[in-house]
Amino acid sequence: MSLQGAVRRSFVALQDQRAAWRSVLEECDPLMESLGNLGQQMKALSRVRVSDTPLRAFPDLQERLQFQLLQAVDLLLQRLGDRMSRLQSIRDSVGGHVSAALQLYQDSADSLDVAVATQRSSVAPSLADMLEWLQDAERFYRRQFLQRKTLLLTLRRDDRAQLEGAANAWRSLDSPDAEQQITDNLCRLGFFLEAQ
Amino acid sequence: MSSSNTKFSAVTGSVRKIKDNAADWHNLMLKWEKLNNDGFQFATNIVNMRNSQRDQQPPDDSPPASACQTFPSAVQQQAAGAAELQDECSRLQAVVDRMVVIVAKMEHLMSVQQGIQDLEEFQFGPEGRTSPLCHSWKTKEFEESSRVLLAAFSQELKLKQVILRELAHTAVADLHMVYLSCWLHQPFIPAQTRLALEALLLETGHRLL
Repeated sequence: MSLQGAVRRSFVALQDQRAAWRSVLEECDPLMESLGNLGQQMKALSRVRVSDTPLRAFPDLQERLQFQLLQAVDLLLQRLGDRMSRLQSIRDSVGGHVSAALQLYQDSADSLDVAVATQRSSVAPSLADMLEWLQDAERFYRRQFLQRKTLLLTLRRDDRAQLEGAANAWRSLDSPDAEQQITDNLCRLGFFLEAQ
Repeated sequence: MSSSNTKFSAVTGSVRKIKDNAADWHNLMLKWEKLNNDGFQFATNIVNMRNSQRDQQPPDDSPPASACQTFPSAVQQQAAGAAELQDECSRLQAVVDRMVVIVAKMEHLMSVQQGIQDLEEFQFGPEGRTSPLCHSWKTKEFEESSRVLLAAFSQELKLKQVILRELAHTAVADLHMVYLSCWLHQPFIPAQTRLALEALLLETGHRLL
């Protein structure tokens, strides 16, 4: 397997995994919104004195409703956990391809001429650039996964304020500049990826 | 044919009734879920309309005569808003009315089950029959299951009737949200209730073991 071939394969895999990553994140959006919504419901429940309202006819209502809300939060966190597993697989897949390409590079580094490695053509970026872009992409997904996983792990089901702010916190982890960079790099690889 | 199927195809009136009963419980609960979702939509609309009613400022000076002919006055808008609110309340009322019917049917199922239990006591004495009608439950357990389900839905219905009565007359945002939460999450029908139904369906062969 030539180094070029390995690099090409890595970028093709990266394209597929990007799409998969975006799709999983899109699934997470409504789940995070629902978490926020449940946080708001819990807050409203805590601010209402049930005994001062017509609901006083149901003395155990407050505990029962609280229980249902907590159960709903648990279910959402479980679903988010499933999505995180899928994100982890994507991260691992990208990481695996990039490691393989870099390993190949290490193995042939002695025989590789620096001039060759840094040579750009009209139809292909330099090997050095491409390896750097692969590393950037791998780092991006590794970091994104870590940040999102950490956010979810720190969510306490009974912390209303935290739940309410969860959706915003999740969105703040978006990194459109880094994503754009990957898109731009993949654009530059158009000819390279088509070549055999 | 497995032995459990043979048991059910035997013409024991009680077994047939219990099995049909379980299927009826399942269907009623499905209908209830659909009504609950519809009702939630109407309840949410009512809350939104109440919020926009509250936000609408009453006119502090009457509009000039020429303007009346071209723009609907604030008073006319308020009247239209009140009519819309009334419509939505009627829709919610219709949902609750249908839920009342469902609970009445559940009461009937409960009384059928009670009848089966009474017949068995008459035939076999207070200990009941020695071998179970279905898989393993004593006949009394069907009655107890029905009782639990009926109690849950009856209480939930009472809650929904209170919400129906109060929703359009409340102005407090937090209380609005609590009413909506109660409607949606059904605090008197927790997950255990659905498990009770599942157990009933398993026992009567509607779900495979």
